[in-house]
Amino acid sequence: MPLGNWVMLEQGIPERMHFSAFFKGTRDIIDSVTGRVVPKNVAEFDVDRLNGQPTNAKFSVLAEKLFAQLEPYTLDNTYKNYEFVVTRIGAGFTTSFSVQVIPLGK
Amino acid sequence: MASRKSRQVEVRMVAEYLKTTYSSYMFITKQPLGQVPDQLAAEVGMKRAMGMTRPFRPEVDAVVIMPGAMVLVEAKVWNIVNGLAKLPVYKALVPITPELKQYSQLPVAMELVVGWTNPNLETMARALDVRVRVFCPDWLGLIVEDMHKYWTKDYQEARKERLELREYYGIE
Repeated sequence: MPLGNWVMLEQGIPERMHFSAFFKGTRDIIDSVTGRVVPKNVAEFDVDRLNGQPTNAKFSVLAEKLFAQLEPYTLDNTYKNYEFVVTRIGAGFTTSFSVQVIPLGK
Repeated sequence: MASRKSRQVEVRMVAEYLKTTYSSYMFITKQPLGQVPDQLAAEVGMKRAMGMTRPFRPEVDAVVIMPGAMVLVEAKVWNIVNGLAKLPVYKALVPITPELKQYSQLPVAMELVVGWTNPNLETMARALDVRVRVFCPDWLGLIVEDMHKYWTKDYQEARKERLELREYYGIE
């Protein structure tokens, strides 16, 4: 059974999240093709609610395409005022992301 | 460098526009439109069929759900007329889009978000019942400015020199 420390997006499966904290920095990532450890810029969110249930997990964003959609809410910390439903579409270099932004209480 | 499309300019533009303009309402980005074949849905279930057909369905940049209307939003920096032309076609697909079925009672409005406009664009948009919204934060203004300079001799020479330098230093 997975420990559930990280929210992993499966293709076509929406995940509804509320973020409580945000961090942007560098993490060492294992490249899935070469197997080498490489430093990458990542955006990480602490997730305190996942699909309506309380949780204590992290959501890590490596893709510029996804971060571009979330970034406006990180600049003024307003991400705390919304829930985000993120769906991964496609795989590899053709991956894109649909983001549903829901103000809290709606 | 600022005008490179790999910086997700239009994705960033639509995200900022939605936050600035519709922050009190729910919205969905990259919403697929059109029907999911009944036969496929019967075979594998609607949820899976939606996933399987997703790459083949057209996507609108965003749909905003308001109490009195649904707004289709398409944002364009380049190929502005393409964005305008897509919206009425996308609107025709809304009534048969399963993901939007619960909002089918709402009237559909169309918005084209651009970094700059011109009288011809406004005329075409009026003819298609599309609202044109100019949204140009500072970072986008620099890109629009570069775009307008693109065909000038000075810009072409500076660009050539920049590309040569990048090649010389092996910069991707």
